[in-house]
Amino acid sequence: MMAPVLAGVLVIVGAFFALIAAIGLIRLPDVYSRMHAASKAGTVGSGLMMIALAIVSGDSGTAARALAGVIFFVLTAPIAAHLLARAAYKVGYPLWHGSVADEMSDAE
Amino acid sequence: MSAFHFLDFAISIALVMLTLSFFLTCYRVVVGPTLPDRIMALDMLVGVVIGFIAVIGVKTGYHLYVDIALALGLVGFLATVAFARFVLERGVGDHERALLEDREGKR
Amino acid sequence: MNLLLMNMLLMLCWAAVTGNFSELNLLFGFLLGLFSLWLIREQTGTGGYFGRTLRIFSLLLLFIRELALSAFRVAVLVLSPRMETKPGIFAFPLTVDRDFEITLLANLITLTPGTLSVDVSADRKHLYVHAIDCSDIPGNVADIANGFERKILNAFR
Repeated sequence: MMAPVLAGVLVIVGAFFALIAAIGLIRLPDVYSRMHAASKAGTVGSGLMMIALAIVSGDSGTAARALAGVIFFVLTAPIAAHLLARAAYKVGYPLWHGSVADEMSDAE
Repeated sequence: MSAFHFLDFAISIALVMLTLSFFLTCYRVVVGPTLPDRIMALDMLVGVVIGFIAVIGVKTGYHLYVDIALALGLVGFLATVAFARFVLERGVGDHERALLEDREGKR
Repeated sequence: MNLLLMNMLLMLCWAAVTGNFSELNLLFGFLLGLFSLWLIREQTGTGGYFGRTLRIFSLLLLFIRELALSAFRVAVLVLSPRMETKPGIFAFPLTVDRDFEITLLANLITLTPGTLSVDVSADRKHLYVHAIDCSDIPGNVADIANGFERKILNAFR
């Protein structure tokens, strides 16, 4: 009887983190800060929901695929965020005017 | 309240929260203001939809949804990488530059 | 790597002898093989294998903990009514120099609280990191250097 309860909790927490990421996307001031919300809370959110699916499936093949999916998301989300941040910075999208430091532009 | 009732309840709550985050993310896609903002919101949208698919999979017990979520994750990642390259190629658009300068000036 | 192969072989032997190739039995066989290899580590001089496995495992544990913490921090930041962020980009001096280690470090940094790796400098001496709270740059640098970078050095050197 533990599996449905655990899956329920994971589903709620995962959806909560997805909501957090979306609110962060709206509230944070610039592209780079918004990327924090999308890449972390978003990944944790969808990852937790996939784990819930793995738990309730009760079939090792499905569970293995779901867990492989979670690992794949966790590995690719930072790469996507990194590539996008790098591209945006390279072509000159500015940081938010309230930013306190930019050692990258100092170096170049 | 039995465990399965709790699961049904959890799924309903999760679907509501996911719908909210879906609309909030859509708002960011539409409003922008810059191209990287929209791309990132689209990437986030893929994450939200993967969450949707997983929750629907839990609800219906139909296991093929796992493969759909996996495929969507792959496509979403490749799309974001391609978009990042596009940003590098294109640079800052003219209307965006005007918009960003305008915003800097106001504050 | 040889030992990993040996371990796999022992796992298959266990599965064949018990006549049960289910995932659970294979996992049990793997652990059993690991244990028997651990028993003879003095005779074969392969203590390093276990130390390294343990350290990679501890890196993994640290990573999962940091990921949970980072999602939680983002939640607190986003839900606080008066959001006071001091974002900025700081340069992190790299000690690791192999491509694989830099990639791993950059990925781990992106998934940890309040930091996002943006670029590696052309001479590969610095990693540029965007932080959501950039008011204490030496503190941020020390956190990464004493946390993930040290763990990576321990696990792969």
